[in-house]
Amino acid sequence: MVVIRDIIITGLLLGGIFALVSVGLSLQYGVGRVMNVAHGEFIMIGSFVTFWLFGSTIHLDPLVSILITAPLTFVIGWILHATLFRRLMDTSPTLDVFEGKSMLASFGLLYVVQNIARIIWGSQNYQVMYLNRTVTGAQIPLNRLVALGVVIVIGVVFYIFLARTRMGKAIRASSQDPTTAGLMGVNINSVLAVCFGLGVAMAGIAGSLLSTLYAIQTSMGLQYTVIAMIVVVLGGLGSVSGAMIGGVVLGIVSQIVTYFQPTWTLIAYYLVFILLLLVRPKGIMGK
Amino acid sequence: MLEIEGLSTGYGRVQVLWDLCLKVEEGEFVALVGANGAGKTTLLKTISGVIKPWSGSITFLGKRIDTLHANDIVDLGLSHIPEGRKLFTDMSIKENLEMGAYPKRTWKERRETMKWVFSLFPRLEERAGQLARTLSGGEQQMLAMGRGLMSKPRLVIIDEPSNGLAPRVVSEVFDILGSLHKEGITILLVEQNVRQTLATADRAYVLENGRIALQGSCTFLRESDHVRKAYLGL
Ligand SMILES: Nc1ncnc2c1ncn2[C@@H]1O[C@H](COP(=O)(O)OP(=O)(O)O)[C@@H](O)[C@H]1O
Ligand SMILES: [Mg+2]
Repeated sequence: MVVIRDIIITGLLLGGIFALVSVGLSLQYGVGRVMNVAHGEFIMIGSFVTFWLFGSTIHLDPLVSILITAPLTFVIGWILHATLFRRLMDTSPTLDVFEGKSMLASFGLLYVVQNIARIIWGSQNYQVMYLNRTVTGAQIPLNRLVALGVVIVIGVVFYIFLARTRMGKAIRASSQDPTTAGLMGVNINSVLAVCFGLGVAMAGIAGSLLSTLYAIQTSMGLQYTVIAMIVVVLGGLGSVSGAMIGGVVLGIVSQIVTYFQPTWTLIAYYLVFILLLLVRPKGIMGK
Repeated sequence: MLEIEGLSTGYGRVQVLWDLCLKVEEGEFVALVGANGAGKTTLLKTISGVIKPWSGSITFLGKRIDTLHANDIVDLGLSHIPEGRKLFTDMSIKENLEMGAYPKRTWKERRETMKWVFSLFPRLEERAGQLARTLSGGEQQMLAMGRGLMSKPRLVIIDEPSNGLAPRVVSEVFDILGSLHKEGITILLVEQNVRQTLATADRAYVLENGRIALQGSCTFLRESDHVRKAYLGL
């Protein structure tokens, strides 16, 4: 029983991170139809900015550094959309063509970002030592609990943003029917740029948190892109709540497999992925 | 109020509208009728900025709007209520109405405007919290109209509001258009229900294969042999 409890707890903790990693990608694909395979690179940027600020003379607390990584990555994403992806969209005859082009372009982005990072930080591992003592009585390191807390806060804030604010409503309307949203007065281009920026910012925040949990290296991005893609398909393409649930499901699966055979986790991810595509091709929350 | 001159447009290489001219004066109730595929929806989409014209000009309240984006055109007071309702089905009725008031100018006043819309469509108020997709066909059309009014338009262009509705509901839709007109809103109505349309509007255009085939007062068109044969089945 204790084993099951621990698996569920650690699975939830990991799942929360997975959800945060994936919601951004889901937003970018669901509203903007950008298949952003460079998503993980922005996680890496978040991690390294946090690492760099932590190691600098100001010795910035990793949690506080989110206040820098989030806006920074938001602006990067916003600019990328307003320049690169918007131009691709204008020159694509259909959304399907755009999807293909956006994937190729973000593939290029992946290499550019990763290689710039490698020039600066090389390819060795780094670690941010932060709150890695365990809480009394439990086996769970404090930094994991803090990370889960941050994920929950961000999830709630993001939910309220989508449900209550003018921009949030415009995002939901645009994801359902961009043309009609335009007739209502929504400037689609600015909504898409904001969504892409938010997606990149979520990656940046996830990166800041991840740097406190695991060793980081400039090549870390791709593994998270893969996880995010699996979760997003699991939860239903473009569904934000689906990405949340998918993240938790994959987190728990990962912990169950890790308990029996740690080397099999990646294989298990793909098995779950393929199985789900066969059984419920539209994902958990898909209609 | 709305002046269209020499308008041509289409999709890809296929031309749909040919050198079209059309005018709506302030306070008028103008109809545009024509068979399926004539180009009525294409014309409305071009007016509201969803489709770009190939040539010609569109002027609204003395301002050229043919180069503007859809979101800027609605801000000028021209509301397009699209064919097939196009509601945000995963949002509530209240949220759909709020989206109609999206331009900054009208967003601030959305609560008062919503009261006015609810007075026109009391059934929407009873269901304000429900998702739009749970509404019946008639209620969905009412919501589409209510949403289109939330931007406090001076000109409403509306595409086949009676499509797919029961006869009783169709009369209700025409009644509401009539009362909006009485409130001073200018209307350009696209319809396939020619009989009821010619009985409601002041003036009408007949569109055939992307060209204006006939125009005039509704009384005149009702008597025209062509309209009687082709559209009224007489
Ligand atoms: N999105 C589109 N792409 C290509 N052709 C279209 C599109 N929409 C309409 N058409 C064509 O344009 C013509 C006019 O269509 P439409 O404006 O919808 O007519 P109406 O509203 O009068 O029924 C039709 O021949 C139709 O097939
Ligand atoms: Mg039509």
